[in-house]
Amino acid sequence: MDNAMALTTQGLTKSYGSVRALRGVNLEVRRGEVFGFLGPNGAGKTTTIRCLLDLIRPDGGTLRVLGLDPQANPVEVRARSGYLPGELRVEDNSTVEDVLHYFNDLRSGKADWSFVRHIAQRLDLDLAPRVKNLSKGNKQKVGVVLALMHRPELLLLDEPTIGLDPLMQHEVLRLIVEARDEGTTVFFSSHNLSEVQEIAERVAIIRQGVVVEVAETDSLINRAMRRVSIRFERPVTDTALATLPGVKVLRRDDGLSVLLQVEGKMDGLIKALAAFPVVDFETERPSLEEIFLTYYEGDRTEVK
Amino acid sequence: MLTVFKHTLRRYRGQIIGWGIVMFLYGAINMPFYDSFANQTALFDQLLNLFPKEAFAFFGNFDITAYATPAGYLGIQYFDVMAVLILGVFVLLLGSGLLVGDEESGRLDLILAHPVSRTSLFWGRLLGFAAVTLAILFISWLGLVLPMGLTSMNLGWGEVALPFLSLFGVLMVFGAAALLFSMLLPSRSTAAMTGGFVLVASYIITSLDRMLQMQGNTSLETAVKFTPLYYYEGGNAISGLNVGWLVGLLAVSALLAVLAWWRFKRRDIRVGGEGGWRFNLLRFKRVRAQQ
Repeated sequence: MDNAMALTTQGLTKSYGSVRALRGVNLEVRRGEVFGFLGPNGAGKTTTIRCLLDLIRPDGGTLRVLGLDPQANPVEVRARSGYLPGELRVEDNSTVEDVLHYFNDLRSGKADWSFVRHIAQRLDLDLAPRVKNLSKGNKQKVGVVLALMHRPELLLLDEPTIGLDPLMQHEVLRLIVEARDEGTTVFFSSHNLSEVQEIAERVAIIRQGVVVEVAETDSLINRAMRRVSIRFERPVTDTALATLPGVKVLRRDDGLSVLLQVEGKMDGLIKALAAFPVVDFETERPSLEEIFLTYYEGDRTEVK
Repeated sequence: MLTVFKHTLRRYRGQIIGWGIVMFLYGAINMPFYDSFANQTALFDQLLNLFPKEAFAFFGNFDITAYATPAGYLGIQYFDVMAVLILGVFVLLLGSGLLVGDEESGRLDLILAHPVSRTSLFWGRLLGFAAVTLAILFISWLGLVLPMGLTSMNLGWGEVALPFLSLFGVLMVFGAAALLFSMLLPSRSTAAMTGGFVLVASYIITSLDRMLQMQGNTSLETAVKFTPLYYYEGGNAISGLNVGWLVGLLAVSALLAVLAWWRFKRRDIRVGGEGGWRFNLLRFKRVRAQQ
Protein backbone atom coordinates (compact mmCIF):
# COMPACT_ATOMS: atom_id res chain seq x y z
CA MET A 1 0.00 0.00 0.00
CA ASP A 2 1.33 3.34 -1.03
CA ASN A 3 1.45 5.60 2.02
CA ALA A 4 0.57 8.53 -0.19
CA MET A 5 -2.88 7.01 -0.69
CA ALA A 6 -5.65 7.54 1.83
CA LEU A 7 -7.80 4.92 0.21
CA THR A 8 -7.57 2.47 -2.64
CA THR A 9 -9.97 -0.01 -4.12
CA GLN A 10 -9.14 -2.57 -6.77
CA GLY A 11 -11.72 -4.58 -8.61
CA LEU A 12 -14.33 -4.00 -5.92
CA THR A 13 -17.49 -5.97 -6.61
CA LYS A 14 -20.74 -6.21 -4.70
CA SER A 15 -24.10 -7.68 -5.59
CA TYR A 16 -27.46 -7.60 -3.84
CA GLY A 17 -29.10 -10.73 -5.08
CA SER A 18 -29.28 -10.38 -8.83
CA VAL A 19 -28.43 -6.66 -8.74
CA ARG A 20 -24.75 -5.98 -9.42
CA ALA A 21 -24.16 -2.77 -7.48
CA LEU A 22 -20.38 -2.63 -7.96
CA ARG A 23 -18.71 -4.27 -10.93
CA GLY A 24 -15.03 -3.74 -10.34
CA VAL A 25 -14.51 -0.31 -8.82
CA ASN A 26 -10.93 0.96 -9.00
CA LEU A 27 -10.12 4.10 -7.06
CA GLU A 28 -7.09 5.80 -5.58
CA VAL A 29 -7.52 8.80 -3.33
CA ARG A 30 -4.39 10.64 -2.25
CA ARG A 31 -3.82 11.78 1.29
CA GLY A 32 -4.85 15.37 1.87
CA GLU A 33 -6.95 15.83 -1.25
CA VAL A 34 -10.62 16.54 -1.74
CA PHE A 35 -11.98 13.86 -4.02
CA GLY A 36 -15.43 14.09 -5.57
CA PHE A 37 -17.36 10.96 -6.38
CA LEU A 38 -20.02 11.58 -8.97
CA GLY A 39 -22.81 9.43 -10.24
CA PRO A 40 -26.57 9.25 -10.49
CA ASN A 41 -28.76 7.42 -8.00
CA GLY A 42 -28.03 3.71 -7.94
CA ALA A 43 -24.63 4.05 -9.61
CA GLY A 44 -22.83 2.57 -6.58
CA LYS A 45 -21.58 5.63 -4.67
CA THR A 46 -23.13 4.77 -1.31
CA THR A 47 -22.32 1.08 -1.69
CA THR A 48 -18.65 1.99 -2.21
CA ILE A 49 -18.60 4.20 0.88
CA ARG A 50 -20.33 1.51 2.98
CA CYS A 51 -17.72 -1.03 1.87
CA LEU A 52 -14.97 1.36 2.98
CA LEU A 53 -16.45 1.42 6.49
CA ASP A 54 -17.05 -2.35 6.62
CA LEU A 55 -20.79 -1.83 6.94
CA ILE A 56 -21.15 -4.23 4.04
CA ARG A 57 -18.68 -6.81 2.76
CA PRO A 58 -17.64 -6.74 -0.89
CA ASP A 59 -17.95 -9.94 -2.89
CA GLY A 60 -14.57 -9.43 -4.48
CA GLY A 61 -11.65 -7.05 -4.88
CA THR A 62 -9.41 -5.39 -2.36
CA LEU A 63 -9.64 -2.16 -0.45
CA ARG A 64 -7.41 -0.24 1.90
CA VAL A 65 -8.41 2.73 3.99
CA LEU A 66 -5.58 4.73 5.57
CA GLY A 67 -3.38 1.75 4.84
CA LEU A 68 -5.69 -0.64 6.67
CA ASP A 69 -8.00 -3.41 5.60
CA PRO A 70 -11.43 -2.28 6.89
CA GLN A 71 -12.55 -5.87 7.43
CA ALA A 72 -9.52 -6.71 9.53
CA ASN A 73 -9.30 -3.37 11.37
CA PRO A 74 -12.80 -1.86 11.29
CA VAL A 75 -12.53 -0.07 14.61
CA GLU A 76 -9.26 1.66 13.77
CA VAL A 77 -10.53 2.69 10.34
CA ARG A 78 -13.66 4.18 11.87
CA ALA A 79 -11.74 5.83 14.70
CA ARG A 80 -9.67 7.71 12.15
CA SER A 81 -12.60 8.49 9.83
CA GLY A 82 -15.62 10.72 9.96
CA TYR A 83 -18.78 9.62 8.15
CA LEU A 84 -21.82 11.52 7.02
CA PRO A 85 -24.55 9.21 5.70
CA GLY A 86 -26.85 10.19 2.88
CA GLU A 87 -29.71 10.54 5.31
CA LEU A 88 -29.01 11.02 8.98
CA ARG A 89 -31.03 8.73 11.25
CA VAL A 90 -30.59 9.08 14.98
CA GLU A 91 -32.89 8.64 17.96
CA ASP A 92 -35.63 11.16 17.47
CA ASN A 93 -36.43 11.65 21.15
CA SER A 94 -32.89 12.66 22.05
CA THR A 95 -31.73 16.25 22.02
CA VAL A 96 -29.03 17.25 19.57
CA GLU A 97 -26.57 17.59 22.45
CA ASP A 98 -27.42 14.09 23.74
CA VAL A 99 -26.85 12.66 20.26
CA LEU A 100 -23.48 14.39 19.97
CA HIS A 101 -22.48 13.20 23.46
CA TYR A 102 -23.52 9.62 22.70
CA PHE A 103 -21.50 9.42 19.52
CA ASN A 104 -18.60 11.18 21.19
CA ASP A 105 -18.76 8.53 23.94
CA LEU A 106 -18.51 5.87 21.21
CA ARG A 107 -15.31 7.68 20.18
CA SER A 108 -14.09 7.48 23.78
CA GLY A 109 -14.65 11.21 24.16
CA LYS A 110 -12.12 12.14 21.48
CA ALA A 111 -13.96 15.27 20.37
CA ASP A 112 -12.89 18.66 21.58
CA TRP A 113 -16.18 20.05 22.87
CA SER A 114 -15.22 23.65 22.25
CA PHE A 115 -14.62 22.68 18.61
CA VAL A 116 -18.05 21.02 18.52
CA ARG A 117 -19.67 24.21 19.78
CA HIS A 118 -17.62 26.22 17.28
CA ILE A 119 -18.87 24.14 14.32
CA ALA A 120 -22.43 24.21 15.63
CA GLN A 121 -22.25 27.97 15.96
CA ARG A 122 -20.94 28.37 12.41
CA LEU A 123 -23.76 26.19 11.14
CA ASP A 124 -26.26 28.05 13.28
CA LEU A 125 -27.25 24.79 14.94
CA ASP A 126 -29.03 24.89 18.28
CA LEU A 127 -28.03 21.91 20.44
CA ALA A 128 -31.06 22.04 22.74
CA PRO A 129 -34.02 20.83 20.58
CA ARG A 130 -35.02 17.22 20.21
CA VAL A 131 -34.03 15.65 16.92
CA LYS A 132 -37.67 14.94 16.02
CA ASN A 133 -38.32 18.68 15.99
CA LEU A 134 -35.51 19.46 13.56
CA SER A 135 -35.92 20.28 9.89
CA LYS A 136 -34.13 18.15 7.30
CA GLY A 137 -31.50 20.83 6.91
CA ASN A 138 -30.82 21.02 10.63
CA LYS A 139 -30.56 17.23 10.83
CA GLN A 140 -27.97 17.45 8.08
CA LYS A 141 -26.04 19.95 10.17
CA VAL A 142 -26.01 17.46 13.06
CA GLY A 143 -24.51 14.93 10.68
CA VAL A 144 -21.85 17.38 9.57
CA VAL A 145 -20.89 18.08 13.20
CA LEU A 146 -20.74 14.33 13.93
CA ALA A 147 -18.44 13.76 10.98
CA LEU A 148 -16.09 16.61 11.79
CA MET A 149 -16.06 16.82 15.57
CA HIS A 150 -13.08 14.53 16.23
CA ARG A 151 -10.91 16.07 13.48
CA PRO A 152 -10.62 12.82 11.49
CA GLU A 153 -7.84 11.93 9.07
CA LEU A 154 -10.42 10.90 6.50
CA LEU A 155 -13.88 12.26 5.82
CA LEU A 156 -16.37 10.07 3.97
CA LEU A 157 -19.31 12.26 3.09
CA ASP A 158 -22.39 11.08 1.26
CA GLU A 159 -24.08 14.18 -0.18
CA PRO A 160 -22.80 16.58 2.50
CA THR A 161 -24.88 19.61 1.55
CA ILE A 162 -28.17 17.96 0.73
CA GLY A 163 -31.13 19.73 2.32
CA LEU A 164 -29.12 22.83 3.28
CA ASP A 165 -29.87 26.36 2.16
CA PRO A 166 -27.23 28.00 -0.12
CA LEU A 167 -25.70 29.94 2.75
CA MET A 168 -25.21 26.81 4.82
CA GLN A 169 -24.04 24.84 1.78
CA HIS A 170 -21.29 27.38 1.40
CA GLU A 171 -20.42 27.15 5.11
CA VAL A 172 -20.22 23.35 4.97
CA LEU A 173 -17.93 23.57 1.94
CA ARG A 174 -15.74 26.00 3.84
CA LEU A 175 -15.56 23.58 6.76
CA ILE A 176 -14.55 20.80 4.37
CA VAL A 177 -11.84 22.94 2.79
CA GLU A 178 -10.58 23.95 6.24
CA ALA A 179 -10.43 20.29 7.24
CA ARG A 180 -8.46 19.58 4.07
CA ASP A 181 -6.10 22.45 4.91
CA GLU A 182 -5.44 20.75 8.24
CA GLY A 183 -4.47 17.56 6.43
CA THR A 184 -7.77 15.68 6.27
CA THR A 185 -8.53 13.66 3.16
CA VAL A 186 -12.07 14.21 1.93
CA PHE A 187 -13.94 11.68 -0.16
CA PHE A 188 -17.40 12.85 -0.94
CA SER A 189 -20.23 11.95 -3.21
CA SER A 190 -22.53 14.57 -4.57
CA HIS A 191 -25.16 15.40 -7.09
CA ASN A 192 -24.34 19.06 -6.78
CA LEU A 193 -21.70 19.37 -9.45
CA SER A 194 -20.98 23.03 -8.87
CA GLU A 195 -19.86 22.27 -5.35
CA VAL A 196 -17.68 19.42 -6.60
CA GLN A 197 -16.17 21.80 -9.09
CA GLU A 198 -15.65 24.33 -6.30
CA ILE A 199 -13.75 22.18 -3.84
CA ALA A 200 -12.68 18.86 -5.38
CA GLU A 201 -9.19 18.55 -6.74
CA ARG A 202 -10.02 15.29 -8.48
CA VAL A 203 -13.22 13.56 -9.41
CA ALA A 204 -14.31 10.07 -10.29
CA ILE A 205 -17.42 9.34 -12.26
CA ILE A 206 -19.16 6.08 -11.52
CA ARG A 207 -21.74 4.57 -13.79
CA GLN A 208 -23.55 1.27 -13.30
CA GLY A 209 -21.05 0.16 -10.68
CA VAL A 210 -17.96 0.96 -12.76
CA VAL A 211 -15.69 3.99 -12.47
CA VAL A 212 -15.67 5.37 -16.00
CA GLU A 213 -13.46 8.39 -15.43
CA VAL A 214 -10.97 9.65 -12.85
CA ALA A 215 -9.35 13.01 -13.48
CA GLU A 216 -8.22 16.31 -12.04
CA THR A 217 -11.33 18.44 -11.91
CA ASP A 218 -9.67 21.25 -13.88
CA SER A 219 -8.20 18.98 -16.54
CA LEU A 220 -11.52 17.24 -16.97
CA ILE A 221 -13.09 20.58 -17.68
CA ASN A 222 -10.15 21.83 -19.77
CA ARG A 223 -9.86 18.84 -22.01
CA ALA A 224 -13.51 18.78 -22.72
CA MET A 225 -14.96 20.46 -25.76
CA ARG A 226 -15.53 24.15 -25.44
CA ARG A 227 -17.60 26.49 -27.50
CA VAL A 228 -15.93 29.51 -29.10
CA SER A 229 -17.87 32.46 -30.41
CA ILE A 230 -15.99 34.81 -32.77
CA ARG A 231 -17.12 38.04 -34.40
CA PHE A 232 -15.16 39.42 -37.34
CA GLU A 233 -14.85 42.91 -38.68
CA ARG A 234 -15.78 41.80 -42.22
CA PRO A 235 -17.26 38.59 -43.61
CA VAL A 236 -14.79 35.71 -43.77
CA THR A 237 -15.00 32.25 -45.17
CA ASP A 238 -14.89 29.60 -42.49
CA THR A 239 -12.96 27.10 -44.58
CA ALA A 240 -9.68 27.92 -42.92
CA LEU A 241 -11.15 27.38 -39.48
CA ALA A 242 -13.22 24.32 -40.26
CA THR A 243 -10.20 22.40 -41.49
CA LEU A 244 -8.28 22.90 -38.23
CA PRO A 245 -7.90 19.69 -36.23
CA GLY A 246 -10.44 19.42 -33.39
CA VAL A 247 -12.51 22.35 -34.67
CA LYS A 248 -16.07 22.07 -35.88
CA VAL A 249 -18.30 24.88 -37.10
CA LEU A 250 -21.59 24.82 -35.25
CA ARG A 251 -23.16 27.97 -36.62
CA ARG A 252 -22.26 30.69 -39.11
CA ASP A 253 -24.17 33.96 -39.28
CA ASP A 254 -23.72 36.16 -42.40
CA GLY A 255 -19.98 35.55 -42.37
CA LEU A 256 -19.46 38.06 -39.58
CA SER A 257 -19.84 35.71 -36.62
CA VAL A 258 -19.22 32.06 -36.15
CA LEU A 259 -19.76 29.54 -33.37
CA LEU A 260 -17.18 26.79 -33.15
CA GLN A 261 -16.75 23.69 -31.08
CA VAL A 262 -13.12 23.12 -30.14
CA GLU A 263 -11.76 19.91 -28.72
CA GLY A 264 -8.36 19.91 -27.06
CA LYS A 265 -5.85 22.77 -27.12
CA MET A 266 -6.81 26.22 -28.42
CA ASP A 267 -3.36 26.98 -29.78
CA GLY A 268 -4.05 26.04 -33.40
CA LEU A 269 -7.25 28.05 -33.55
CA ILE A 270 -5.71 31.18 -32.08
CA LYS A 271 -2.82 31.05 -34.53
CA ALA A 272 -5.24 30.59 -37.42
CA LEU A 273 -7.33 33.54 -36.26
CA ALA A 274 -4.29 35.83 -36.49
CA ALA A 275 -4.97 36.02 -40.21
CA PHE A 276 -8.47 37.45 -39.67
CA PRO A 277 -9.76 40.81 -38.36
CA VAL A 278 -11.26 39.65 -35.06
CA VAL A 279 -13.57 42.08 -33.23
CA ASP A 280 -14.69 39.81 -30.40
CA PHE A 281 -13.71 36.41 -29.11
CA GLU A 282 -15.52 34.49 -26.38
CA THR A 283 -14.98 30.99 -25.10
CA GLU A 284 -17.49 29.12 -23.08
CA ARG A 285 -16.28 26.26 -20.91
CA PRO A 286 -18.69 23.48 -20.24
CA SER A 287 -19.65 23.11 -16.61
CA LEU A 288 -18.78 19.91 -14.82
CA GLU A 289 -22.44 19.16 -15.07
CA GLU A 290 -22.36 19.16 -18.86
CA ILE A 291 -19.27 16.96 -18.84
CA PHE A 292 -20.90 14.65 -16.36
CA LEU A 293 -23.95 14.34 -18.54
CA THR A 294 -21.86 13.33 -21.52
CA TYR A 295 -20.98 10.16 -19.60
CA TYR A 296 -24.64 9.40 -19.30
CA GLU A 297 -25.70 10.04 -22.83
CA GLY A 298 -27.10 6.80 -24.09
CA ASP A 299 -27.31 5.62 -20.50
CA ARG A 300 -29.20 2.54 -21.57
CA THR A 301 -26.03 1.17 -23.04
CA GLU A 302 -24.57 -1.13 -20.45
CA VAL A 303 -21.03 -0.39 -19.33
CA LYS A 304 -18.66 -3.20 -20.24
CA MET B 1 -18.91 -2.08 25.44
CA LEU B 2 -19.64 -0.15 28.64
CA THR B 3 -20.85 2.86 26.63
CA VAL B 4 -23.18 0.64 24.62
CA PHE B 5 -24.43 -1.06 27.79
CA LYS B 6 -25.14 2.24 29.56
CA HIS B 7 -26.83 3.65 26.49
CA THR B 8 -29.01 0.53 26.18
CA LEU B 9 -30.14 0.92 29.79
CA ARG B 10 -30.86 4.61 29.27
CA ARG B 11 -32.70 3.92 26.06
CA TYR B 12 -34.97 1.27 27.57
CA ARG B 13 -35.69 3.04 30.85
CA GLY B 14 -39.22 3.73 29.61
CA GLN B 15 -39.71 0.01 28.99
CA ILE B 16 -38.48 -0.78 32.51
CA ILE B 17 -40.95 1.66 34.01
CA GLY B 18 -43.86 0.68 31.74
CA TRP B 19 -43.57 -3.11 31.92
CA GLY B 20 -42.43 -2.87 35.56
CA ILE B 21 -45.58 -0.98 36.55
CA VAL B 22 -47.78 -3.50 34.71
CA MET B 23 -46.17 -6.44 36.50
CA PHE B 24 -46.05 -4.64 39.85
CA LEU B 25 -49.77 -3.88 39.70
CA TYR B 26 -50.64 -7.37 38.50
CA GLY B 27 -48.80 -8.87 41.48
CA ALA B 28 -49.98 -6.33 44.03
CA ILE B 29 -53.63 -6.75 43.00
CA ASN B 30 -53.46 -10.53 43.35
CA MET B 31 -51.79 -10.68 46.76
CA PRO B 32 -54.67 -9.46 48.96
CA PHE B 33 -56.95 -12.18 47.55
CA TYR B 34 -54.76 -14.97 48.90
CA ASP B 35 -56.53 -15.18 52.26
CA SER B 36 -59.96 -15.29 50.64
CA PHE B 37 -58.96 -18.21 48.42
CA ALA B 38 -57.07 -20.00 51.19
CA ASN B 39 -60.05 -19.79 53.58
CA GLN B 40 -62.54 -21.12 51.04
CA THR B 41 -60.72 -24.12 49.64
CA ALA B 42 -63.64 -26.46 50.37
CA LEU B 43 -66.03 -24.34 48.32
CA PHE B 44 -63.58 -24.13 45.43
CA ASP B 45 -63.01 -27.84 45.65
CA GLN B 46 -66.72 -28.46 45.11
CA LEU B 47 -66.90 -25.98 42.28
CA LEU B 48 -63.82 -27.16 40.46
CA ASN B 49 -64.66 -30.83 40.81
CA LEU B 50 -67.38 -30.15 38.29
CA PHE B 51 -64.63 -29.72 35.66
CA PRO B 52 -62.39 -32.46 34.28
CA LYS B 53 -59.02 -32.68 35.99
CA GLU B 54 -57.29 -32.71 32.59
CA ALA B 55 -58.45 -29.14 32.00
CA PHE B 56 -56.62 -27.96 35.11
CA ALA B 57 -53.57 -29.96 34.16
CA PHE B 58 -53.55 -28.17 30.84
CA PHE B 59 -53.63 -24.77 32.50
CA GLY B 60 -51.03 -25.39 35.19
CA ASN B 61 -51.07 -28.85 36.75
CA PHE B 62 -52.64 -27.80 40.02
CA ASP B 63 -54.99 -29.32 42.42
CA ILE B 64 -57.29 -27.04 44.32
CA THR B 65 -55.61 -27.69 47.65
CA ALA B 66 -52.54 -25.93 46.26
CA TYR B 67 -54.56 -22.71 46.36
CA ALA B 68 -54.36 -22.82 50.13
CA THR B 69 -50.55 -22.72 50.11
CA PRO B 70 -48.58 -19.53 49.33
CA ALA B 71 -46.43 -21.33 46.76
CA GLY B 72 -49.45 -22.90 45.05
CA TYR B 73 -51.39 -19.66 45.05
CA LEU B 74 -48.53 -17.64 43.60
CA GLY B 75 -47.85 -20.35 41.02
CA ILE B 76 -51.46 -20.52 39.82
CA GLN B 77 -52.23 -16.82 40.00
CA TYR B 78 -48.94 -15.38 38.91
CA PHE B 79 -45.96 -17.45 37.78
CA ASP B 80 -47.24 -20.49 35.89
CA VAL B 81 -49.10 -18.73 33.09
CA MET B 82 -49.47 -14.96 33.22
CA ALA B 83 -45.96 -13.84 34.21
CA VAL B 84 -44.23 -16.03 31.68
CA LEU B 85 -46.60 -15.11 28.85
CA ILE B 86 -46.66 -11.35 29.55
CA LEU B 87 -42.92 -11.07 29.99
CA GLY B 88 -42.40 -13.58 27.18
CA VAL B 89 -44.02 -11.14 24.79
CA PHE B 90 -41.82 -8.39 26.20
CA VAL B 91 -38.54 -10.26 25.64
CA LEU B 92 -39.61 -11.33 22.16
CA LEU B 93 -40.24 -7.73 21.17
CA LEU B 94 -37.07 -6.47 22.83
CA GLY B 95 -34.85 -9.29 21.61
CA SER B 96 -36.02 -9.13 18.01
CA GLY B 97 -35.48 -5.36 17.89
CA LEU B 98 -32.28 -5.20 19.90
CA LEU B 99 -30.13 -4.65 16.80
CA VAL B 100 -32.49 -5.03 13.87
CA GLY B 101 -34.72 -2.25 15.21
CA ASP B 102 -31.88 0.18 14.64
CA GLU B 103 -30.98 -1.48 11.37
CA GLU B 104 -34.49 -1.12 9.95
CA SER B 105 -34.67 2.52 10.98
CA GLY B 106 -31.26 3.21 9.38
CA ARG B 107 -29.55 4.11 12.67
CA LEU B 108 -27.20 1.13 12.80
CA ASP B 109 -25.24 2.46 9.83
CA LEU B 110 -24.17 5.57 11.71
CA ILE B 111 -23.49 3.70 14.97
CA LEU B 112 -21.22 1.21 13.23
CA ALA B 113 -19.46 4.00 11.36
CA HIS B 114 -18.04 4.90 14.77
CA PRO B 115 -15.19 3.05 16.46
CA VAL B 116 -17.28 0.36 18.05
CA SER B 117 -16.82 -3.22 16.93
CA ARG B 118 -19.78 -5.36 16.05
CA THR B 119 -18.79 -7.63 18.95
CA SER B 120 -18.84 -4.79 21.47
CA LEU B 121 -22.13 -3.51 20.14
CA PHE B 122 -23.70 -6.95 20.22
CA TRP B 123 -22.63 -7.94 23.72
CA GLY B 124 -23.13 -4.46 25.12
CA ARG B 125 -26.72 -4.49 23.87
CA LEU B 126 -27.29 -8.06 25.08
CA LEU B 127 -26.00 -7.26 28.57
CA GLY B 128 -28.26 -4.22 28.56
CA PHE B 129 -31.16 -6.47 27.55
CA ALA B 130 -30.42 -8.81 30.46
CA ALA B 131 -30.16 -5.88 32.86
CA VAL B 132 -33.46 -4.39 31.63
CA THR B 133 -35.18 -7.77 32.09
CA LEU B 134 -33.72 -8.12 35.58
CA ALA B 135 -34.88 -4.61 36.47
CA ILE B 136 -38.45 -5.44 35.38
CA LEU B 137 -38.32 -8.69 37.35
CA PHE B 138 -37.09 -6.76 40.38
CA ILE B 139 -40.05 -4.36 40.18
CA SER B 140 -42.35 -7.35 39.67
CA TRP B 141 -40.87 -8.98 42.78
CA LEU B 142 -41.55 -5.80 44.76
CA GLY B 143 -45.16 -6.08 43.60
CA LEU B 144 -45.40 -9.40 45.42
CA VAL B 145 -43.30 -8.86 48.54
CA LEU B 146 -44.44 -5.36 49.49
CA PRO B 147 -48.14 -6.26 49.87
CA MET B 148 -47.26 -9.62 51.46
CA GLY B 149 -47.55 -8.08 54.93
CA LEU B 150 -51.28 -7.55 54.27
CA THR B 151 -51.80 -11.31 53.93
CA SER B 152 -51.22 -14.38 56.07
CA MET B 153 -48.45 -15.59 53.73
CA ASN B 154 -45.35 -16.27 55.71
CA LEU B 155 -42.84 -16.50 52.91
CA GLY B 156 -39.41 -14.94 53.05
CA TRP B 157 -38.59 -12.30 50.45
CA GLY B 158 -35.77 -14.52 49.24
CA GLU B 159 -38.17 -17.44 48.69
CA VAL B 160 -40.39 -15.26 46.52
CA ALA B 161 -37.31 -14.31 44.49
CA LEU B 162 -36.60 -17.93 43.50
CA PRO B 163 -39.36 -18.27 40.84
CA PHE B 164 -38.16 -14.97 39.38
CA LEU B 165 -34.73 -16.54 38.88
CA SER B 166 -36.32 -19.44 37.03
CA LEU B 167 -38.42 -16.93 35.05
CA PHE B 168 -35.27 -14.96 34.20
CA GLY B 169 -33.67 -18.13 32.81
CA VAL B 170 -36.56 -18.93 30.48
CA LEU B 171 -36.96 -15.29 29.41
CA MET B 172 -33.29 -15.20 28.43
CA VAL B 173 -33.86 -18.23 26.21
CA PHE B 174 -36.79 -16.61 24.42
CA GLY B 175 -35.01 -13.26 24.16
CA ALA B 176 -31.85 -14.81 22.73
CA ALA B 177 -33.94 -16.90 20.34
CA ALA B 178 -35.72 -13.77 19.11
CA LEU B 179 -32.34 -12.08 18.65
CA LEU B 180 -31.05 -15.04 16.66
CA PHE B 181 -34.20 -15.08 14.52
CA SER B 182 -33.71 -11.37 13.84
CA MET B 183 -30.23 -12.13 12.52
CA LEU B 184 -31.51 -14.89 10.23
CA LEU B 185 -34.91 -13.65 9.07
CA PRO B 186 -35.58 -10.66 6.81
CA SER B 187 -37.32 -8.39 9.31
CA ARG B 188 -37.87 -7.67 12.96
CA SER B 189 -41.57 -8.45 12.75
CA THR B 190 -40.90 -11.86 11.21
CA ALA B 191 -38.39 -12.60 13.97
CA ALA B 192 -40.83 -11.57 16.69
CA MET B 193 -43.58 -13.65 15.10
CA THR B 194 -41.34 -16.71 14.88
CA GLY B 195 -40.31 -16.24 18.51
CA GLY B 196 -43.98 -15.92 19.45
CA PHE B 197 -44.71 -19.16 17.64
CA VAL B 198 -41.97 -20.91 19.62
CA LEU B 199 -43.30 -19.50 22.90
CA VAL B 200 -46.89 -20.54 22.22
CA ALA B 201 -45.86 -23.94 20.84
CA SER B 202 -43.72 -24.53 23.90
CA TYR B 203 -46.62 -23.61 26.16
CA ILE B 204 -49.07 -25.86 24.33
CA ILE B 205 -46.70 -28.84 24.26
CA THR B 206 -45.87 -28.61 27.98
CA SER B 207 -49.57 -28.18 28.83
CA LEU B 208 -50.65 -31.07 26.60
CA ASP B 209 -47.95 -33.26 28.08
CA ARG B 210 -49.22 -32.60 31.62
CA MET B 211 -52.75 -33.42 30.51
CA LEU B 212 -51.72 -36.61 28.74
CA GLN B 213 -49.53 -37.70 31.63
CA MET B 214 -52.65 -37.66 33.85
CA GLN B 215 -54.15 -40.25 31.54
CA GLY B 216 -50.94 -42.27 31.55
CA ASN B 217 -50.09 -41.23 28.01
CA THR B 218 -46.38 -40.50 27.63
CA SER B 219 -46.31 -39.78 23.90
CA LEU B 220 -45.05 -36.19 24.40
CA GLU B 221 -42.57 -37.11 27.11
CA THR B 222 -39.54 -36.80 24.83
CA ALA B 223 -40.73 -33.81 22.80
CA VAL B 224 -41.53 -31.74 25.87
CA LYS B 225 -37.94 -31.93 27.04
CA PHE B 226 -36.93 -29.87 24.03
CA THR B 227 -39.17 -26.97 24.99
CA PRO B 228 -37.79 -24.20 27.21
CA LEU B 229 -40.93 -24.05 29.34
CA TYR B 230 -40.37 -27.64 30.54
CA TYR B 231 -37.44 -26.30 32.56
CA TYR B 232 -39.36 -23.34 33.92
CA GLU B 233 -40.46 -24.14 37.44
CA GLY B 234 -42.93 -21.34 38.02
CA GLY B 235 -44.37 -21.25 41.55
CA ASN B 236 -42.78 -24.61 42.41
CA ALA B 237 -39.42 -22.85 42.66
CA ILE B 238 -40.57 -21.27 45.94
CA SER B 239 -40.09 -24.59 47.65
CA GLY B 240 -36.67 -25.09 46.03
CA LEU B 241 -35.03 -23.84 42.88
CA ASN B 242 -33.64 -26.43 40.49
CA VAL B 243 -30.27 -24.78 39.96
CA GLY B 244 -29.31 -27.30 37.28
CA TRP B 245 -32.31 -26.34 35.17
CA LEU B 246 -31.60 -22.64 35.66
CA VAL B 247 -27.99 -23.08 34.62
CA GLY B 248 -29.18 -25.15 31.65
CA LEU B 249 -31.57 -22.41 30.54
CA LEU B 250 -28.86 -19.79 30.84
CA ALA B 251 -26.43 -22.02 28.92
CA VAL B 252 -28.94 -22.47 26.09
CA SER B 253 -29.56 -18.73 25.95
CA ALA B 254 -25.80 -18.16 25.84
CA LEU B 255 -25.49 -20.65 22.97
CA LEU B 256 -28.28 -18.93 21.03
CA ALA B 257 -26.64 -15.57 21.70
CA VAL B 258 -23.27 -16.83 20.44
CA LEU B 259 -24.93 -18.03 17.22
CA ALA B 260 -26.63 -14.65 16.79
CA TRP B 261 -23.31 -12.86 17.42
CA TRP B 262 -21.55 -15.11 14.90
CA ARG B 263 -24.15 -14.21 12.30
CA PHE B 264 -24.11 -10.50 13.15
CA LYS B 265 -20.32 -10.36 12.72
CA ARG B 266 -20.56 -11.71 9.22
CA ARG B 267 -23.61 -10.17 7.67
CA ASP B 268 -24.12 -6.90 5.80
CA ILE B 269 -25.78 -4.05 7.62
CA ARG B 270 -28.92 -3.42 5.65
CA VAL B 271 -30.35 -0.09 4.63
CA GLY B 272 -33.36 0.34 2.42
CA GLY B 273 -34.37 -3.30 2.73
CA GLU B 274 -31.66 -4.94 0.66
CA GLY B 275 -30.86 -8.48 1.69
CA GLY B 276 -34.47 -9.27 2.53
CA TRP B 277 -36.19 -12.39 1.37
CA ARG B 278 -38.34 -12.20 -1.73
CA PHE B 279 -41.42 -14.28 -2.00
CA ASN B 280 -41.41 -14.47 -5.76
CA LEU B 281 -44.51 -16.62 -5.99
CA LEU B 282 -46.55 -14.02 -4.10
CA ARG B 283 -45.08 -11.22 -6.21
CA PHE B 284 -45.96 -13.12 -9.35
CA LYS B 285 -49.54 -13.59 -8.23
CA ARG B 286 -49.89 -9.90 -7.40
CA VAL B 287 -48.56 -8.85 -10.79
CA ARG B 288 -50.90 -11.26 -12.50
CA ALA B 289 -53.82 -9.93 -10.51
CA GLN B 290 -53.10 -6.37 -11.66
CA GLN B 291 -53.08 -7.35 -15.31
